[in-house]
Amino acid sequence: MGELRVEGLCKGWDFPVLDRLDFTVAEGEFFVVVGPSGIGKTTLLRLIAGLERPDAGRVLVGGRDITGLPPYRRNVAMTFESYALYPHLSVFENIASPLRARKIARAEIGAAVRQAAAMLRIDELLERRPGEISGGQKQRTALARTLVARPEVYLLDEPISHLDARIRHELRQQFHGLEELRRVATLYVTHDYAEALSLADRIGVMGAGGLVQVGAARDIFERPASLFVAQHLGQPSINVVEAELHQTGGDGAVHWAATGAAGAAGGKGLTLPVADAHRAALSNLGTATVMLGIRPQFVSVLGNAESAAARTGDGSCTDVAARDGRGTAGGGLPVIDATVELYEPLGATGVLIADAGGVPLTATTDPDRTFHYGERVKLRLRPETVLYFDARSGANLVD
Amino acid sequence: MAAVAGGAPPEAAAGALPDWFAAKKRRTRPNLIVHRWVPIALVGAPVLVLFGIVVYPTVWMFYHAFQNTNMMRLFRGNWSFVGWENFHAVLTSERFWDSVQHLAQYLVFGACLQVALAAVLALTLYEVVRRDWVRVVVLIVLVLPMMLPPSIVGVLWKFLLTPSNGAINAALLHLGLIDEHIEWFNAGMSLWSIIIADVWNWTALPLLIIYSGRVSLPPAVYEAARVDGASGWLVLRRITLPMLKEVIAIAFIIRFMDAFKFVDLVYVMTSGGPAQSSELPTYIAFQRGIREFEVSEAAAYAIIIFAFSAILITLFLRYLKKVLKAQGIA
Repeated sequence: MGELRVEGLCKGWDFPVLDRLDFTVAEGEFFVVVGPSGIGKTTLLRLIAGLERPDAGRVLVGGRDITGLPPYRRNVAMTFESYALYPHLSVFENIASPLRARKIARAEIGAAVRQAAAMLRIDELLERRPGEISGGQKQRTALARTLVARPEVYLLDEPISHLDARIRHELRQQFHGLEELRRVATLYVTHDYAEALSLADRIGVMGAGGLVQVGAARDIFERPASLFVAQHLGQPSINVVEAELHQTGGDGAVHWAATGAAGAAGGKGLTLPVADAHRAALSNLGTATVMLGIRPQFVSVLGNAESAAARTGDGSCTDVAARDGRGTAGGGLPVIDATVELYEPLGATGVLIADAGGVPLTATTDPDRTFHYGERVKLRLRPETVLYFDARSGANLVD
Repeated sequence: MAAVAGGAPPEAAAGALPDWFAAKKRRTRPNLIVHRWVPIALVGAPVLVLFGIVVYPTVWMFYHAFQNTNMMRLFRGNWSFVGWENFHAVLTSERFWDSVQHLAQYLVFGACLQVALAAVLALTLYEVVRRDWVRVVVLIVLVLPMMLPPSIVGVLWKFLLTPSNGAINAALLHLGLIDEHIEWFNAGMSLWSIIIADVWNWTALPLLIIYSGRVSLPPAVYEAARVDGASGWLVLRRITLPMLKEVIAIAFIIRFMDAFKFVDLVYVMTSGGPAQSSELPTYIAFQRGIREFEVSEAAAYAIIIFAFSAILITLFLRYLKKVLKAQGIA
């Protein structure tokens, strides 16, 4: 037993995939690596499992260096993206195979297999072959095969990503219930941010070359270290607006104005104040170009009554910002005029894409409202939820 | 719009869509030559050819198997019905049952040994040799004998196995493995010589089949086995061989079917001799029918061989179907 530790791991073929990767998964921790396809997540697991040889670096389990060991001496268990079930063997034999390899007594194998199968609710299928069960059942068989091995480290490669949405959700809940996975270090790899947020004790976001940010789910979602992280987590995707910072007045107030879109689309532009909390970090940048990240769930669409009450001068927020220096209006928050471009009713929520002075903004809306193309709406932003990133490096400028 | 449809009904012109099917509806009489006679000719010609070279000779053979036809009677046209006499003669002759024994020897040590040897070679080549170009070179070398015509192979091995000054005996003597020449073509050895030549000639066929079968097995399954900690022997026994079962069965069926029509090496190397000690049933049928013009007896031989192989192949196919069904493939 012990922690999984990766030190300076490097791997590349004609191109570098992992570059000096360092991280630690504590004993009992569920660590999720999330990142776009083809970024090297599976390679990382294969390196830890011993299926690939690293170019440099070490892998340690409980302080024991396993870098040079063959897979079967590492005491790790891995599920494969393609499930990798043995097609000619029954579900029972598939689950039993790691135990058979260790020459464990027949009765013990039977008990262990049945227990794992019952836990994953596939105990009805033990006599069938992989060709005769569904995708979700195959996945659970592969998982059961991994669980019976009772290794020191679990490596799970996109275990539920290829299943349809409903079963994915069901299996995600099952993962929460599997105490075995909370016993030792578990490394779970996925491209689905929702799985990561739902399951992880800690998340590592993988970008080109390695982990871009490691932290608790909430931290990563609320304080992404870079634009890449912010864009990768969240559905619908975060709004990214290129803007210019301006100092206004003598009291140190700062506001930003969207660049590019305003002139080209003939819109009126989009200008909003910077929240007090962010002002200190941003004011010393002077007049600088930044990338703004605005989560769709923090863009709210005002109801009809609220809209009427909101005082927005001649309809453009630009005037509001210029007039009182703080850009507050109506309920004390900036209100933006926008035109509906696209509305997707998704049942539990709706996704609205609206043109705000030449800048397209995505907002999540209440399910009980519908919008039509061309409709005029009022959007409200909460300045303290806006994220600021460096235009060139993408680094978070505030946190 | 009416102009586009070319004579569409007038109501279609009033804003409605044109009748796109008008052109099709108008043509009521299909071209008889194209639609009826061309297909008949295309299907009919090969059917006629097949009938001429397969069906007619087969029927002819079945007919003459129950006559007392030989060359003279065939020319004079005075053959007569003899019932099961030909079959009775064949099935009670020592020569036939000797040849069946030879066939069994050939099936076990020729066909089976070839498939077993091919499986060992193919899996060794795949698992042990890591460089692609080495694999390709080895494959080409192993496949070369298959490219040679059987007559050449026969002559080649006849030379190699010549007792007094053949290369094989010389090599064995030189290595000290034997003290005196092996008489490769005496009564006890001649069939073994044929089998050696045949193994050399045809092992590459099952080898190619099994090798390609191994190549197409999913690598992820093997990685899973490696992580599970299965030893090489366990992987072979629990994964590779079971997954290659059908492929090996197919290789076996092919060599098996070949065994029942195997005649060329026998003819070139020993002509069934000495003293009929290397005759196979097919060779006797050939000898009796083509060289001695005992048409009816040869026909009886052919039918017996056919029945024999049909039964065995049916059993094989039934087994294969069961295997495939168990895996949900067929």
